[in-house]
Amino acid sequence: MESLAKAAIDAAIKVGVAFSDVRIENTITTNIEMSDGITKRATMSRLKGAGIRALIDGAWAFGQCTDLTASGMRRTGESVAKLALATHERVAAKFGIEGKTFTDSVHLKVKRPFQDVSIEEKVGLAKMIDDQARGFDKRISNTRTTYADMWSELYVANSLGTAVHIENSLPRITCMATAKDGANRQRAYKSIGVRGGFEQMQTEPVQVLGEESSKLAVELLSSVAAKGGVHDVIMDPILNGVMVHEAFGHACEADNWPAHATVLEDKVGTKVGPESLNLSDDPTLVGQRGTFEYDWEGTKTRKRHLVKNGILTDLLHSLESSSRLGMELNGAARAQSFMYEPIPRMSNTFMERGDWEVDELIADTKQGVMLCDFNYGYTEPSKGQFMFQASHGYLIEKGELGQMVRDVSLAGQILDVLAKIDGIAKDFEMEAGTCGKNGQLVPDNSGGPHARIRGVPVGGM
Amino acid sequence: MTQQLLAIGEKAVKTAERLGAEQAEVYLASARSFSVDVENSAIKSASERRDAGCGIRSVIGKRVGFAYVTTLLEKDIEEAAKNSVGLAKASVADPSFMSLPSSEERYPVVSGLYDRTIVSLQSEDAAELVIRAVDSAKAVLAGKKFAIEAQLSVSSGAKAIVSSQGISLSDQTTSATVYTYPTIKEEGEQTASYEFQISRHLKDIDPEWVGRSSSENAIHCLGGKTVEGGVMPVILTPLAVTTVIGGGFAGAINAEEVQFGRSYVSDAIGSRIASEELHIVDDGILKGGVGSRVFDAEGVPSQRTEILNGGVLKSLLHNSYTANKDRIKNTGNASRPSYAGTPSIASSNFMITPGKGTLDDLVSELKVGILCRNTGDRPNMTTGDLSAMVMEGFYIKDGEVKHPVKSTLVGINMRDLLQRIHRVGADTRATGTMVTPSIVVESAQVTSG
Repeated sequence: MESLAKAAIDAAIKVGVAFSDVRIENTITTNIEMSDGITKRATMSRLKGAGIRALIDGAWAFGQCTDLTASGMRRTGESVAKLALATHERVAAKFGIEGKTFTDSVHLKVKRPFQDVSIEEKVGLAKMIDDQARGFDKRISNTRTTYADMWSELYVANSLGTAVHIENSLPRITCMATAKDGANRQRAYKSIGVRGGFEQMQTEPVQVLGEESSKLAVELLSSVAAKGGVHDVIMDPILNGVMVHEAFGHACEADNWPAHATVLEDKVGTKVGPESLNLSDDPTLVGQRGTFEYDWEGTKTRKRHLVKNGILTDLLHSLESSSRLGMELNGAARAQSFMYEPIPRMSNTFMERGDWEVDELIADTKQGVMLCDFNYGYTEPSKGQFMFQASHGYLIEKGELGQMVRDVSLAGQILDVLAKIDGIAKDFEMEAGTCGKNGQLVPDNSGGPHARIRGVPVGGM
Repeated sequence: MTQQLLAIGEKAVKTAERLGAEQAEVYLASARSFSVDVENSAIKSASERRDAGCGIRSVIGKRVGFAYVTTLLEKDIEEAAKNSVGLAKASVADPSFMSLPSSEERYPVVSGLYDRTIVSLQSEDAAELVIRAVDSAKAVLAGKKFAIEAQLSVSSGAKAIVSSQGISLSDQTTSATVYTYPTIKEEGEQTASYEFQISRHLKDIDPEWVGRSSSENAIHCLGGKTVEGGVMPVILTPLAVTTVIGGGFAGAINAEEVQFGRSYVSDAIGSRIASEELHIVDDGILKGGVGSRVFDAEGVPSQRTEILNGGVLKSLLHNSYTANKDRIKNTGNASRPSYAGTPSIASSNFMITPGKGTLDDLVSELKVGILCRNTGDRPNMTTGDLSAMVMEGFYIKDGEVKHPVKSTLVGINMRDLLQRIHRVGADTRATGTMVTPSIVVESAQVTSG
């Protein structure tokens, strides 16, 4: 690995660029989708190759190579460097890369590595959960269960002297159930994704995932479509995580600053929410889906206090953004695979606990809606707007939970929403997700306690 | 390149058979893509990707396995073949699986899918093109504080499908995309918009139009306000139609979703599920179409499939598995993420037949309403409920656009939306997955605040 990386970096520097880095990846994935008890899709993959970057006077070039030989790496290093040189005269903002260097080799120990578990056992797990979901109630008309695992090793090196080897091991299981009662059909899904080996798929919550999913689908048969309007909203921990991620996390990715593409541009060091509000992004948590010791540029990770006591404090940095903004490097650069450039991304993102009891928070809400679990969300930091959708929720009347509602959407403005948060509970939970940006998908995790937002538009039929 | 891919494919089919596959299919692809990125109105980076890989589907009885690798090296392909056979062996048999598709006698001729100038485009010329788009965007924004993000990307690729069922096909295609995304900063306000073009041919790309339009759109977005909610008409322009109909309806007539009872469209062939004004065709053989191809992702000939005629559902979208299961003719809609996945189902060029009138005409016909230019939302595919944020949109009063809207959502069930499309415009454009004009939904719930 070291000699291959060195071949590419040396070749690039020799052409005349100021900085070069390399990621060499070897990843194995397995993906098994069961539907109605039969194998619908069974897939294995191996990704192996190298991504190489070169920088001169603020002009980046990127290329990738699957010919992992010294000559293949040299050739790619040279051509990437030449591409950077060809572009650099047109670049407006000149900058270089500075920053700490790291050398380390981290080996992730898991009890049951995916390679040691037979395909039959993985298929068996997915089938057990799929069967469990279908057997839950006679109104369950379709089930779909997907087991996915990914084992990855990554070597990152750069021309400043960084040389880091890291490993990752991410299992995930998802179960979707469709319930049918006459013409009324509803679907629900539940998922668990953590960091670890196959042993993490043998825990109690995983063993009952099928039931959980079917239970929600059956409950949804008696839900009604939400009625649109401006409401006080209590978010459950999972949906709160989505809010933090969509409404704020993306806007804190520091590549937005040189691009002038976030409404938070002038807000660093200023108040963006109530004093009780703390939002964090922490890749150092143990055993979480968004955890990594070093980022995809080889920078050691640390916890990021995005919002501390209501003040926007920290951003999510890559080598480039920390160099250009003169802020401390914190290890937030991630890439989907060797085929992509690393860019600032979130990891495990959450709202810190507050001091309300969940019951008190509900009892204190005269009229509103509680939103639970999530379907999806998205944001546009340049324009300052975001939207996300809960899979279901409950109307709150006179401080009590009532009628179940489904597919409740919430839209808002990044600069307004945090100031509307006035109650944060003591509980805490996180949920696995996958986040997309610039065409790259990365595994992540988000959550928090129950929390209340006052007066936000909630969409309905 | 195609001959080389076919040769590797023939060999890989034999490898899978030797390892125990009764049927085998190998999908190979080799692509080069090149892009130039603009940040804060100036060039920032260039990247070149060369991606080649191989995916192998192995069948044993009614059990199917699939594996892929991101190289074309013999030992990696051998490993993929071994894994795909191993997965087939470990799978639970699917009684509805009949066979991989066989070779057909006739394949359509589809012209205009390959442009030599894209293959030979140099980095200097690519940079020039994107700068033209940025300069046009800048010109419109003169005197304002702004930052423009932009990208030009081109790709060219060869793919091949070889199978034990006699399929041995290859083709080469190209595409080019340019977009500009200007952000405007004013006192106390920030907004953004974007515009793009995508084509199989470089000469169809008009960078000046893209840049100019994106900036004009962004200026129109300044001064966004919330509106009084209620039930009112909503105009969806082609970008919004692409998300709502291209995603939310084309996805609902995916035969796999219908067969599993997961779609809000079920057992509806021959029934009128949409307004009489609505005619939709899925055209896989459209000349020069971004979604056009000679054969689908399983090597089945492409075709033109009528989906909605006067609102009556004529066909679902099928691949070989779902067509065999329903015992009907395959529509050739198998789709896969290059070599890195098994065939699912997707539309090719999903086309709404144009009606009459420009967008201005449609606006002038409304007393009150919302003009939704873009949204990122799709419906719940099982219930059909759609709650869509108006990412970019305007309030219409007395036949005129009054002001942009913010924090505004449109709610409607897809079954109602399809029935309430009482007007189809003639302002057709290609958006990548669709070729469509604007449409008017007679009434939907609008929430804003």
